Amino acid sequence: MVDLIQMIVSGFAVGSSYALMGLAMVIIYKTSEVPNFAQGEMALAASFFAMMLLTSFNIPLLPAFFMTFVFAAALGCFLEFAVLRRAKNPNVLGMIVITIGLEMVLVGLVSWKFGAEQKSMPFPIGPYDSFIIKGIFISKLDVLTLVSALLLMGGLYFFSRYSRLGLAMKATQQNSVAARIVGIRTHGIMMMTWAISSVVGAAAGLLISPVIMNPYMMWDPMLKGFAAAVMGGMTSLPGAVIAAYMLGIIENLFGGYISIEFKSVVAFAIIVLVLCFKPSGLFAKHYVKKV
Amino acid sequence: MDMKRDYYEDVRLILSPVAGLWFAGLLSFLYLFPLFVDNYYIYVANYIAINVIVAAGLNLLVGYTGQISLGHAGFFAIGAYGTVTLMAKAGFPFLVALPGAALVAAGFGFLLGLPALRLEGPYLSIATLGFGLTITQVIGRIEFFGGREGLHAPDIVMGPWIIDTDKEFYFLLITLTIFLLLFMRNLIKTRVGRAFIAIRDADIAARTMGINIVAYKTLAFAVSAFYAGIGGGLYAFVLKFIEPEIFSLMMSIMFLAMVVVGGLGSMMGAITGATLLCWLDLKLRNILDIPYVGDWLEHLSRSWFSITGVSNIQFIVFGSIMILIMLFEPLGLYGVWLRTKRYWRTWPF
Amino acid sequence: MNKSVQFILGICLAFLLGFTWSVQAGEGVTDTEIHIGQWGPQTGPAAAWGSVARGTGDYFKWINETGGIHGRKIVYHMFDDGYNPAKTKAGVKELQEGTGIFAWASGVGTSPGLAVKDYLMENKIPWVGPSAGSLSWVTPPEKYLFAVYPLYFLEARALVKYAVETLGKKRIAVAYLNDEYGKNGLDGAIEELKKHNMELVARVPVEKGDTDMKPHLMELRKSDADMVLLWTTVGHAVRIVGTAKAMAFAPQFMSTSTCSDFVLMNEISKGLWEGVICATFGELTDSDHPGIVKYKKEVFEAYAAKSERWGLFYAAGIIFTEPMIQALKNAGRDLTREKFVAEMEKINGFKGIGPMISYKPFDVNDMYSRQGGTQTFLVQCLADGKAKKLTDWMELK
Repeated sequence: MVDLIQMIVSGFAVGSSYALMGLAMVIIYKTSEVPNFAQGEMALAASFFAMMLLTSFNIPLLPAFFMTFVFAAALGCFLEFAVLRRAKNPNVLGMIVITIGLEMVLVGLVSWKFGAEQKSMPFPIGPYDSFIIKGIFISKLDVLTLVSALLLMGGLYFFSRYSRLGLAMKATQQNSVAARIVGIRTHGIMMMTWAISSVVGAAAGLLISPVIMNPYMMWDPMLKGFAAAVMGGMTSLPGAVIAAYMLGIIENLFGGYISIEFKSVVAFAIIVLVLCFKPSGLFAKHYVKKV
Repeated sequence: MDMKRDYYEDVRLILSPVAGLWFAGLLSFLYLFPLFVDNYYIYVANYIAINVIVAAGLNLLVGYTGQISLGHAGFFAIGAYGTVTLMAKAGFPFLVALPGAALVAAGFGFLLGLPALRLEGPYLSIATLGFGLTITQVIGRIEFFGGREGLHAPDIVMGPWIIDTDKEFYFLLITLTIFLLLFMRNLIKTRVGRAFIAIRDADIAARTMGINIVAYKTLAFAVSAFYAGIGGGLYAFVLKFIEPEIFSLMMSIMFLAMVVVGGLGSMMGAITGATLLCWLDLKLRNILDIPYVGDWLEHLSRSWFSITGVSNIQFIVFGSIMILIMLFEPLGLYGVWLRTKRYWRTWPF
Repeated sequence: MNKSVQFILGICLAFLLGFTWSVQAGEGVTDTEIHIGQWGPQTGPAAAWGSVARGTGDYFKWINETGGIHGRKIVYHMFDDGYNPAKTKAGVKELQEGTGIFAWASGVGTSPGLAVKDYLMENKIPWVGPSAGSLSWVTPPEKYLFAVYPLYFLEARALVKYAVETLGKKRIAVAYLNDEYGKNGLDGAIEELKKHNMELVARVPVEKGDTDMKPHLMELRKSDADMVLLWTTVGHAVRIVGTAKAMAFAPQFMSTSTCSDFVLMNEISKGLWEGVICATFGELTDSDHPGIVKYKKEVFEAYAAKSERWGLFYAAGIIFTEPMIQALKNAGRDLTREKFVAEMEKINGFKGIGPMISYKPFDVNDMYSRQGGTQTFLVQCLADGKAKKLTDWMELK
């Protein structure tokens, strides 16, 4: 019984980092219908930037994190402005290839600058300090990730629903020409979207970095986050988060009781099954194409 | 562009005597060049030819039928493992093992096509991605397929011939490639091909016109999986050694990139995309040898970056090429070709 | 089709311009040069091992500066294969047939190596010191392939033997990377336990992409092991040890030579690696062994790049090529591949900064005719990444 609860708790913990990545991807998809494969590497660049500030320039913790978020936002704006906007007649595949190209460039730059060895990130919370409650343990870092994921999800949800900016984002997604006619600066909105998404990704990266820090660390969380976002529905913020937690828990339960090796495989199999029944994901509205 | 006046002109392969001459020239070039160049270039040509086959198959699915697949490395793996095990463990000759394995891959393609009937866009990409990952995991687990240690490919014996050098393999490969590409081209010109295009452009309208979406979508998946399977089977002999790690997500992404960069919905596009990206892939590691640029990069590396990571320039160049082609010519390399053609045709306007 | 065919022809012509006409690939030896090649993952997920190839490069630079080999300088060709066997094969073929390589040194990775092994052996090209202790190099042994890295299989046996006989551990578990490297370690552990009439209490496979080690630890904890043998990558090993600490599960951890760079392990694990016992294939890089001191001063400090670190992987580049240099020197001025192979076979009891290396005349039934390194010793990690030698060099057979 303890084991079962432990697995569920660990599933929550691991689901949080997927949730953050999923959130970041959904934000971009909601506004511009681009599945952003470069999400992981944007987070990676921000994390390495943070490490550089902390170790080479010896800047204290809070200012360094603040500067990292600023950097992440700037990176997001820059990428949108310089690359995504220039794409003419974007169709889904073209955008996928562009974001994959961006991903390669970013990972190449980070690897080039920092080398490929494992590094360590001076984070205030050690990755393995944990709370042990009645034999069930959860690490402090996981709690922090959980809290951040939920806070960010809540914040973004209310932001997109009730604030003017959020409304403008929705309008841009639904019909960008009409939005422009009504006076919404769609270019600014897009840049803002990318900036927000990049900051969320940076948060994910920073929370993953104490455990593992090398140029390839974001590849797996990004894939799982993307899978979670798809399962939850690419246009639903809470959906991505809930699906991410489900994914984490199912993975852990399967790994614990049946087979560790096939853990990830099962995760994807479940997603395919879910998609067979709900083609647009669990929580999104299924837009039926009108002829 | 070139106006076709009737159906038979549309499907004709060789349009005019001059075109026939060019075609003959191309064929003779393809068959004669291995006699003049280093073995290394023949290896590169083999590698490119295999990717051309897979790209053509993927183009059928992505370009002509409008689906997305991030899992083609899975079909590639099935083809490779299938051929090697059928030859090594079950003793079938090469000419039976290869189509056999490809048919198995086509079967899996059909299975993958079933959920694809309801999915589109990123949802379909995740489903196919999951499939690709699953296949490699499952193969890696089964000891019969060599598990994680991989398998060595035996020599190909076809009647009196034993094929064990790159050159001999090249002749076999290029013949197969030409045959497969011609078949693909013809397929596209028939009603099956037109059904695919209809599905891509307006699938609801296609359905109302009586095109059986279920049959054609799954057929598209199956045929493209068949091509990937053949490519995989041949790849096992080019590399002479296969193991599950080779068939990674990166490989699927490369295939997709080849098709998109080359130009969706155009077979010439798929061929050029595959050629360009493979060649870059193999050659970019020598980027530091370029006379001036290489030294400048090393100098830059020492002062601002880490010298140890200098080979990552390959990724940067690769990614930049992908981005630039997509930004400036959404139709890919084929679009570049069309533009140059139009420019020269309508010069001086 | 007309214009498209023209188009393809244009592309092919462009290719032709990039070709060179057939160059006779020589023996790789001229009056003044010996060409030696190596592949290494300078990019990609395995890039941390790229320092092996760079270490060899700096070592060869030093050899050239201190007189070369009988008046010849070594021309070193290193290329990045990104741990992708297709690229490894492409690079090896290009260099072998274009420039002509005399012999190949080291080379990281079992699968890249296996992709080129047949090609090199068929063309009778010597290859010394693959950077992996896999059984694939010597089962069956090949005349032109000389292995140096002590077999993973035997390392595992030595570690388990020490745990059972010296430390008195009774419940042994293994966490292994799910590939050939990990399997070799797993098999070695099982074999040794069989000799003591014991069995593994848990075998936990780890996938390369796994970041969260909790499920693995839960299984290990469930088995109540008192010694856990780690046969994974550096990153996974650190995460396993860390998660174990978080779960208040404290068996004796032991690991293989790939995780024996204690300075690195200590840094990434933030001190949690203390107490882990590892097997290793080379003299400790911070010891005062004369060979280590000499190489550190004359090779590393003189030639290594600013961001390079004097660690195990870098030193490995030297360890795996020392016997090659020795044989080249012994072969004298009149150098051919066959002579080189004969000199390699004569190496017996060669000791550089690695294990003692001995070869024998080629016998297809005796793997030790081509498995040169058969020694290892055990070290334990102390605080600050220092190491304590637990045993001396032990013979593994």
